[in-house]
Amino acid sequence: MREQPLNDEPLHPVLAKLPVFTADAELWPRILAEHAKRQPARFRYRWIAMASAAAVVAGAILMLPRNGTEPTPLDGQRESQALENEWRALAPAPSRPTADIARLYMIDAALQSAYDRGAHADELQPLWQQRNEALRGLILTARTDTVTRI
Amino acid sequence: MTNQTNLRSRSGFGQELDRITLERARRGDMDACAAIYRRFGSACFNLALRILGERAAAEDVVQEVFLKMINTLSGFRGDAPFGVWLKRLTANATIDALRAGQRFADEDPEAFFASIASRAIDADARVDAWSLLMRLPPRARAVLVLHELEGYTHKELSELFGQSESYSKSILARALKRLGDPGQPVVTREGELATCASNL
Repeated sequence: MREQPLNDEPLHPVLAKLPVFTADAELWPRILAEHAKRQPARFRYRWIAMASAAAVVAGAILMLPRNGTEPTPLDGQRESQALENEWRALAPAPSRPTADIARLYMIDAALQSAYDRGAHADELQPLWQQRNEALRGLILTARTDTVTRI
Repeated sequence: MTNQTNLRSRSGFGQELDRITLERARRGDMDACAAIYRRFGSACFNLALRILGERAAAEDVVQEVFLKMINTLSGFRGDAPFGVWLKRLTANATIDALRAGQRFADEDPEAFFASIASRAIDADARVDAWSLLMRLPPRARAVLVLHELEGYTHKELSELFGQSESYSKSILARALKRLGDPGQPVVTREGELATCASNL
C-alpha cells in the first residue's frame, strides 16, 4: 500500500469536496461494552481474582492497628461486590448495554488495566469509588424501573 | 475549506502514533486504546461510510475493527506504520460488510456503467459531492475510495476483490468519468458552489 502522498495526479474535485462525518459519540463506550461482553468470563473478571489476591495481603495489613480511617481499595472492593449483587438481583440482563452499563464496563476495563500494571492503592481507590457510584446509579434506575412496571 | 491536500491528510491514516501509546495498547491498556480511537476513529468511520453509504453499517465496521485491533495488537510487529495496518483492517472489514450485506450480489458495475452510458449528467445539475459518490454502485465506490483516497494499488485491489487488475482499472476509469468533468461545477454538502477546475 502506498504511503502519502498517494500519487502525483490531482484528486478528482468531487472527491476533494467529500464531507467528513463524525461517528456517534457513544461509539467508543459501545465498543468497550462489546469488548467486555466478548471476553471469556475467566478473563473478564481476572481483575477480581487479582483484587482478591491483593485482598489477602491487605487483610493481613488490616489486622494491624490503624491510625487513620482512610478507605482502602479493599473497602471499595467489598462495597462494590455488595452493590453488584444488589443490582443483579434487581435488574434483568439487558439485551443491549445501556450507556450506564457501558460506563461500568469502562471502569472495569480501567480497573483491570490498573491491576495489570500493578497500580498503587492511590490509583485503585478512586476507580473503586467510581465503580460503586456507577453501581448505585444502576441500582436506582433498576428500582425506578421496577416501580414503574408495578 | 476542503482542498486536495487537506482531504488526503484528513483521511487520517497517515498520522503518526507514538511508541509509548502503542506499547501501552499492546499490553491491553484501554486508556491507550481509547487514545488510538480518538486519533484514528474518524478515518476508519469515514472510509467505511464512503463505501457503505450507511451510518449504522459504518459504525458496526468501526466497532469490529477496534475490537480486532484490541485483540490482535499484541501481534502487530510494526513492519508497516500503524495507520497502514489499521487502514487494512478497516478496508477488509468494510468489504466483508459489503459481502455480508449481499450488496455485491445484485450488482454488476459493468452493466451499471453500460446502462448509464447514454445518460449524460445534466451539465447544470448542482449535485453535491456526497450524492455523486452515492450514485455509484458499492463496488465502484470501494474501488474509487480505496484507490484515490486511501492509496491502494490496482494489484492490491485485485487481491481484495478477487478480480484482475484490468477489472479494477476499468471500474475506476468509468467511476471517475461518472463523477463528471473536473471542470464541472460541484456543490459542497453545505451548498457551496465551486468550480472544480479552480481547486486543482
